[in-house]
Parts: sequence; C-alpha cells; structure tokens
Amino acid sequence: MSNTQARLPRPVESERIPLKARKVSFSWEDTPLHWVPGDPFTTHTINVLHLLLPAGERWFVHVYKQVLPYIRDERLREDVIGFIGQEAMHSQAHDEVLPHLKDQGLDPTPYTAQVDWLFEKLLGDRTLPPGRPRRWWLMERVALIAAIEHYTAFLGDWVLNARELDRRGADPTMLDLLRWHGAEEVEHRSVAFDLFLHVDGSYARRVRTWAVAFSALVFLWQRGARFFMENDPTLIDGRATFMDFHRRGRRGLLPSTGAMLRSIPRYLGHAYHPSQEGSTEQAVAYLAASPAALAAEKSQEEAA
Amino acid sequence: MKPKPMTLAIAAAAALVVRRAMRRRIQGSPLWPMPALEPPVSGRPRSRALKLLVTAHERIADGVVRVRLEGHDLPRWEPGAHLDLVLPSGLVRPYSLCGDPEDTSSYTVATRLVEDGRGGSREVHEQVQEGVELEVRGPRNRFPLVEAPSYVFVAGGIGITPVLPMLRALPEGTEWRLLYGGRTRASMPFLEEIEKLDPDREGSERGRVTVVAEDEDGLPDLDAFLAGVPEGAAVYCCGPQGLMTAVEERLPEGTALHLERFAPRTTAGGDGEFEVELRRSGRTLTVAADSSVLAAVRAELPNTPYSCEQGWCGTCQQKVLEGEIDHRDELLTDSERGDSMLICVSRARGERLVLDM
Repeated sequence: MSNTQARLPRPVESERIPLKARKVSFSWEDTPLHWVPGDPFTTHTINVLHLLLPAGERWFVHVYKQVLPYIRDERLREDVIGFIGQEAMHSQAHDEVLPHLKDQGLDPTPYTAQVDWLFEKLLGDRTLPPGRPRRWWLMERVALIAAIEHYTAFLGDWVLNARELDRRGADPTMLDLLRWHGAEEVEHRSVAFDLFLHVDGSYARRVRTWAVAFSALVFLWQRGARFFMENDPTLIDGRATFMDFHRRGRRGLLPSTGAMLRSIPRYLGHAYHPSQEGSTEQAVAYLAASPAALAAEKSQEEAA
Repeated sequence: MKPKPMTLAIAAAAALVVRRAMRRRIQGSPLWPMPALEPPVSGRPRSRALKLLVTAHERIADGVVRVRLEGHDLPRWEPGAHLDLVLPSGLVRPYSLCGDPEDTSSYTVATRLVEDGRGGSREVHEQVQEGVELEVRGPRNRFPLVEAPSYVFVAGGIGITPVLPMLRALPEGTEWRLLYGGRTRASMPFLEEIEKLDPDREGSERGRVTVVAEDEDGLPDLDAFLAGVPEGAAVYCCGPQGLMTAVEERLPEGTALHLERFAPRTTAGGDGEFEVELRRSGRTLTVAADSSVLAAVRAELPNTPYSCEQGWCGTCQQKVLEGEIDHRDELLTDSERGDSMLICVSRARGERLVLDM
C-alpha cells in the first residue's frame, strides 16, 4: 500500500478558476458551406460537433441538475453550477448552426433525430425503482460525462492551437465558435472529473464508462462525417475514410491519430486529473479576446 | 509509454473487421442501429441570431424612420411581436414589427428619435443606413392579440407600430375602435393608412378611428373614449407611460388590458412583493421586492438548479401551475412562456404564483 498515495488523482491547484457562462450569439449568414476552403472533409468532420453537441450538452445539464443533491462540497457545487450554464450555452450555440446547414441544402435532421433519441431516450431517465438502481444509473451517467469531458477538453485544447486552420483561411465566425467553446471546455475540464470523484470515483466505473464513451464517440463521429460527405449537395460521390482523417491529422487540420491514441492511457492512469492537461491560461487569454465572448460581456454589462 | 507493435496490429485488425461489418449494415439500413426521436428536438434553436441587410431607411413622419430589413426564410411572427436589433454599438433594443406578418423575406420596424433617450433610437436614425447589416434576434411576442368579441386600441405616437398589424389582421366584421394620439398630425406615422381603415370616417362621431393631434384638438378625451368599452372587450394600449397609466386608471375592474411598454421595465430584480406557492413541496414563500423567485426558492430548496441568474441559460426553468407571469428572460419561446418561467429573473404580474416544484 506504500504507493497508494502517489497514485491518487492529483489536481494542479493553479489551474482552478471560477466559472461563468457567457451569453454568446453567432450569425451564420456569411459562413460558406465548406468553411475550410476547398476541404469538405475537414469541414464536415468538425461539423459533426454541431450534430452531437446540442443534444449531448442538453443531456449533461439534465443529468447534472439531478446530481446537485449529492454534492457535499460548496466549492464543487459552485463549479458544477458554472459548468451547467456554460454547457447550456454551448448547446444553444451549436443548435443555431443546424438551420444554416439546412439552408445550404445539407439537412442534418435524419442524423440529429437519432442523436436526440440516443441522449433523450437511451441515456435518459429510466423507470427504475427509487434507491440504489436509480442512484446507480445516475452515477453511471456522471462517469460517462467525465469520460466525454476528457475528450472535449482534448479537442478544446487542440482547436485553440490549430494554427493550420487559420492558415487555410477557415471562416472566422466558425473558428470563433469552436475556440470559444474549446476555451470554455479547457476552462471547466476538471469539473466533471472532480464531480465523479466526489460522488463515486470507482476505478472500475471509470474504465467501463470510458470504454462506452470512447466507442460511442468513434462510432458517432465516423458515421456523422460519412453522413455529411454523402449528403453534401456539392459533392459527387462524397466519401469519408479513416485515411482522410489520418492524413489531415498529420497536416494539423484535424487532431492527429497519434495524439488521440496517447490520450487513452492518460485518462486510464490512476493519477490522472484533467488539470494536468491543457492550459487554463491559454483558454482565459482566448476568451478575453474572442469576438463572441467580448460581445457577450458587453450585453451582460448592458443588462446589469 | 510506447504501445507495443503487436498490440497495435491487433487493434488495427479488429478495427478493420468492425468497420467492414458495420459498413454493410449501415448501407443496408441507414437508421441502423439507432431509432430516431420523433419529433427531433435539435436544430430548432429557441432564438437564432440573424444578420439582415437594411434595404430601406426612410422618414415617414416628423422624427420617425421606417427601417426595412431583408433576409430569406425569416421566422414568422404574429401581430404585436417585436424584434431585438443589435445596433452597431452593441446596444440591443426591441422594436415592434409593423410590416406584413406573412412576408418571410423582410421585417419592417419604425422608430422615433428620442432626444434624451438611452441612445438606441439616435443610433437607428443616424448610424443605420441602407446597405448596413444588422444583427437581429427574435421575433418575440409580449403583446399578443387575444381572441375577444370586440377590441379597443389606444395608441400614443410611435405606439401605433404594434397596433397596426393587429388592425390589419382582425377579421372582417370584428368590432373595434382605435384612439390614436400624437403631438401633431405630421409627427404621427401611418396616419393615412389608419384613417383608410375606418369605413365610416366622414364626419361621423362614432367612427372607429379617433385621431387626436394635440396642437389642433388638445389632449385626447380618454374618459369619453373609454366610457363605452363593451363588456368582454380586449383593451390594448401602447404609448408613453403616462398614457398607459391613465388608461389603466379609467378602465372598469375586470377589463382585459394589454400594455406594451416602449422599453421593458428594469430587467434586474425589483418591483413588487408577491407570494409563491411550491405545490409539490407544499410550501409558500414571499418574494421580496428586491429579491428574485430563485433566491426565495433556494432558501427553502437549496438544490434547485440554476446557473447564469440573468435569464438566458435556461437552467432554472420551472413549470407554473397558476398565476400570471411577468416574463423578463430572453430565452423562452412564446409557447414555453404559456406555462413555464425562468425563476431567476421573471416575476409575478399579480400577487401570487404557483410553481410545480
């Protein structure tokens, strides 16, 4: 038992800051269908976010509303409340992109209707007897969220540093949406994991839910990318393959396969804590300069 | 830590097998393996920021400009609705829509220059021009036209804007009357169109439309106009605060009065004290004038979810069972507003609310 202490999750204290939601809004009229010019595959792979996040983040909020009574730590409760507001805004912001895609002839409804089913029904509240079964299902979902947040933080950190997208002339509004979102994900990356440790923390559950979350993400993502490529009205015989993904990962247009694989053992490590990854400083710096976040600050001051 | 080559090879082979198996299944049935939610909920944002092009900016009366904003596939609206304009300086101001509700390619608003106002109208007059792009939000309806046997409208000056689409929308044969007041005839927008709506205006005292210009006729005689309000009539009033208070005072108890303020009252907490009953937990609380429903509820039920406390994240939405709600949020859709509220900012219009919590 001598090494138990050393293997416990160790948060990096300096990475902790108070969380607040920002009331952003984006208008999409000027964003082209292929917002990474000349690269529909990259565009659509990143567009899959808009399919998964509205329903997914609504579900986070739904689950976290139920977990509030289990929190015995005031500081964590504050974090969770800030987290809920940020996630609610992410869900709203990505939801606004979908009508724009539809306007451009790429109707995402067949896919989002399934994602809605996944989060509202399959992962929704079940008619379980009160007491242990209900608590078990709630904890399972809390752990799932912690695993998903590991990847959102990973992607957030990636997009904040994805200079290649700027070099390719990607649409500034879309980049601002992604980086505002990514920065808030980096900002609150520890909350879901801290909450999981606080209310449950079982290592077996961490591994089990990671496996579910990872396979589901890979499955949904490749499916979404293929769905977009096949239904894009401007492409003849559009396809999405793993090699497309891998090549763009090497060029820095998408996260690289290697970086994604390397993040797996990190999450499963006993001493893992999200504050060891990414940089709050960089996230805060982006939020201080993001056009959408600045406009949000202005309208909030105006209202106050 | 470097993964072993053997592990990698096994993982890659497994991935290939899975991929082939899945591709066949997915191509066979596009919905495999997941059913779809009926009806889908994503992709119908509650509010959507739109960027519209100003295609007309014209003076239609003294100190009044009409702005036409063009787009395509714009959300429909009902008479009484307003649009939030995000002005170049970042100010957000609501303006009543006064165009044709059926037109999904443009919105029309009109605004009067307020010399000592908060700056919004000056910006619309001076900085907004043809060819400028403006961001808008909405439309929302805080002033909906309800079904009633007859209608009475009182409009002061620019307050005619939400009333005009209502008059156009009323079915033929509906009984209605309008009192339209302003400083001078030249300063009253849409005057010609309003007078045309009156079928028997030729010198008739009982005409549907009464136009009162202060410089010619003095102040409008509200007592006489409101004396004969028919039973069950819906009364709509939009204009300066003084006019609305005067109308409120003169109406008999029990008349349905609908008011539209030029500027919503302060959005932060405040106004009157009222009672909130929490039906499921069987508690009744008092919300102080300077407090919010959320603060009162949290004192009793500390695990009540909330987050932004400013009326836009939507976390604190609660079902309302009884009582009239004074909505002060920026998020809920008109249909959600029927039976729910955001308890962090919205308050009671009356003395009591019953929440399902």
